[in-house]
Amino acid sequence: MIRSLLGSSGGTGFSLTLAALAVTAALLVATLAGVGPSGFLVNIIGQLAAFALLALALDLIWGYLGILSLGHGLFFAIGGYVMAMHLLMHSFETTGTVPDFMQFMGWKEFPAYWAGLGVFPYALAVALVLAGVVALVTGWVSFRSRVGGVYFAIITQALVYAAMLLMFRNDTGFGGNNGMTGFSVIFGLRMGTETASAVLALASVVVLALGLVATRALVSGRLGRLMLATRDDEVRLRSLGYDTIVLKTGVWVVSALLAAIAGMLYVPQVGIVNPRILSPELSLEIAVWVAIGGRGHLVGAVIGAVLVNALKFWLSFAAPDVWPFILSALIVLVVLVFPNGLLDLSRGFGALKARMRREGVASLDPRRAGP
Amino acid sequence: MLRIAAVLIGLIFATAAGAAPLERDPTLRGLCGNAAASGEAADRLLSATPTLSPDDLAFADAAIGGLLSKKLVCPAAPTDPVALKADTGAVDLATGAPLAALPKGKAPVVSLKNRAKFERLAAALALLAAPNAAARAAALEVLAKSAADVPADLFAAAAGREPDPALAARISSVADLASLYGTDIDKRVAAVARLAEGENRRVLTEIEALRADPAYASEPAFAAAVDAAAAKVSGAIAIGNAAATLYNGLSFASILFMASIGLAIIFGLMGVINLAQGEFIMIGAYVTYVVQEGLRALLPGLLDWYLVIAIPFAFLVTALIGIALEASLIRHLYRRPLMSLLATWAVSLFLINLVRVGFGTQNLQMETPFYITGGIAIVGDFIMTWNRLFAIGFAALTLAGTWFLIRRSGIGLDIRAVTQNRDMAGCIGIPTRRVDMLAFGFGSGLAGLAGLALSPIYNVNPQMGTNFIIDSFMVVVLGGVGSIAGTVIAALGIGQINVLIEPIWGAVAAKVIVLALIIAFLQWRPEGFFTVAGRRK
Repeated sequence: MIRSLLGSSGGTGFSLTLAALAVTAALLVATLAGVGPSGFLVNIIGQLAAFALLALALDLIWGYLGILSLGHGLFFAIGGYVMAMHLLMHSFETTGTVPDFMQFMGWKEFPAYWAGLGVFPYALAVALVLAGVVALVTGWVSFRSRVGGVYFAIITQALVYAAMLLMFRNDTGFGGNNGMTGFSVIFGLRMGTETASAVLALASVVVLALGLVATRALVSGRLGRLMLATRDDEVRLRSLGYDTIVLKTGVWVVSALLAAIAGMLYVPQVGIVNPRILSPELSLEIAVWVAIGGRGHLVGAVIGAVLVNALKFWLSFAAPDVWPFILSALIVLVVLVFPNGLLDLSRGFGALKARMRREGVASLDPRRAGP
Repeated sequence: MLRIAAVLIGLIFATAAGAAPLERDPTLRGLCGNAAASGEAADRLLSATPTLSPDDLAFADAAIGGLLSKKLVCPAAPTDPVALKADTGAVDLATGAPLAALPKGKAPVVSLKNRAKFERLAAALALLAAPNAAARAAALEVLAKSAADVPADLFAAAAGREPDPALAARISSVADLASLYGTDIDKRVAAVARLAEGENRRVLTEIEALRADPAYASEPAFAAAVDAAAAKVSGAIAIGNAAATLYNGLSFASILFMASIGLAIIFGLMGVINLAQGEFIMIGAYVTYVVQEGLRALLPGLLDWYLVIAIPFAFLVTALIGIALEASLIRHLYRRPLMSLLATWAVSLFLINLVRVGFGTQNLQMETPFYITGGIAIVGDFIMTWNRLFAIGFAALTLAGTWFLIRRSGIGLDIRAVTQNRDMAGCIGIPTRRVDMLAFGFGSGLAGLAGLALSPIYNVNPQMGTNFIIDSFMVVVLGGVGSIAGTVIAALGIGQINVLIEPIWGAVAAKVIVLALIIAFLQWRPEGFFTVAGRRK
């Protein structure tokens, strides 16, 4: 089952995943009609879908280009914060609710840069442009000077950390350490109702499916082969005349945009955004989802994100103290025993032993990517 | 008759103490007189206090004390002696002889105007003669409030006979203040000069305030003295501030250095970033705590020296954890550096939660031994605090030890050889695996020592190491991987830039700006300041 889900040629696994997403979507539609899963479960499904999209974004850049970002939370947060601003503006325009953070700061009106965010298409454009520009600048600057591997990973982590410190300040107009909460209306629907949850979850699942189809289209063609070639031997590709810097920057920007969209879907479902979303730990966890699911396999990233987060949701209720230990054990297990995550599980132990002898599969091992 | 006796007694004491005698009876009669007379008597007595003999001081103290506590009895008949009510009967105040009966009379009423004078007088007498230091200090504070109305030589006399050096210094400073606001211009100029010896911000404020003084406009000598003093003090303060900034930067840099040097060695040798390095720092601090508690229980006499005694423990425990980590996990990941990031993060998560379960999340109580308490004032407002000096000295020792090990010892030669060319080093018979393990242990042990140096100045809790890794990595990148000199220079640079920016734009901006500078720097020199010739991609 898992093997077919994750099959590297991707045919059946991909179709099965899409089918599973279609079934989930159908269940959510049933909830809208009043017969499907409860509001709580619907909310969990929606959050898992947002996380899966985030993992998909990271897998695109890590799995296919061998560039590990430990700062994808930055783009996730850009989407999340812009969405939160949109929701607050929208709520203010429809119900007159003054956001908490403005009351804390004693502000009478929204800061100037909030103008127009009440209109969703504009907010969407702002989030995408912002994430895209930040990605373009950071990516171009780093890839141009051949910063890669561990360097790039830590620098992205430093970026997300610096952003977190900035957002913790109360005078920036983004809610400071309390963040932004108290969203009351989304697209004219009251937040917190079963209908709103189901619509949001449905949107997340649909966007995830679209993202899966789009990224698959991206990696299965000639571009995908270029990406793998860049990952495995960038120097050779460059000497063949390909501009890998443009390729890497382009994919990096696409990945950032996906992460921003994931953030826009995630924030309304949890009802709050605060600087914790920018903590280096979250960004590291995204990499863990992808590693557990299997790098270089879009479906693997989705499954990894869903499995790890489902486990986390369950354990956070059942045994909150145990979760960090389980997470670290999972990581060590994946790193030592299943270097390609669930994919190894699906290939059986015979193949695993053979590969352990060879120390990693050439086509999946980004060992050449870093210093 | 009485008067003659008083003069005679006074003469005897005058010859004994070398001071002018006090005419006791007229003084007492004056005190008993109307408000004007009693005020005048008080003034005379106050100006005489610095030269009074001990016996006269005791007499004056008894008289003023009696007056204020209403035990003084002024006789109705001018021939009767002024008496003091005692617990039993009464005494003739002027002679000290007991009286058979309390003379007819009443206690004088101190007018509102004179009360301040008498209180000042009582304080002056207490400052000169009170047996305990607390009473003298209290009296000084009373006098300090109206220092201009106290004769200047009173303070000189009091400072001269004061046995407590701290109180004597305080008396002198009050005296300076008194002459500063006095009427004698020469004394004021001298006082300004003496004040300017203080060289701190408080003194500068006092000197600046003198510019509003009328004398500043009318007396050129005084104005010149004030200007010179202000220039001197503000110059000293500027030097002091610059020194303080340098010092803070240096202490921050030494902490950065301690946190980074282990990372630099490990990264240079194996290309592995140990994200658990910060947690090794935390464990070093916890080991220090355990040593402290162990000493408290077993050898309380050595408790103050726990920071020294813990050095081998902090190093060895973290080094052993590091070796165990290398042997069990890292060695499988040399060819997959990105996975080693995740693996070492898992280790850091594990260690944080292990410590959290074992010790709790609260900050640990670390002792502050005497040798890192307080500091020494150098110039201006700059105080060289011992605790920071401890961190700086500790970092310097660590640097010396590391340098010796890497540049002068056999294992150091091996480490350098493997860092430069692993395959070639293996070919000529260097056991690269063992070198890796030892170097990883050494780098981890250095992190443990960093934790020890941090424990008396930082909050020691399970999260304390979390944010070190980013700063440390920046130091390593900036300095050039695997270079000791580069690590030192990068730590110094980042430390100084941080403390320079912090007061202007705040700590957050400092972090962000430093990060931006480092990214910009990497555009220019991707290999850092110093590059160890090696086989790095």
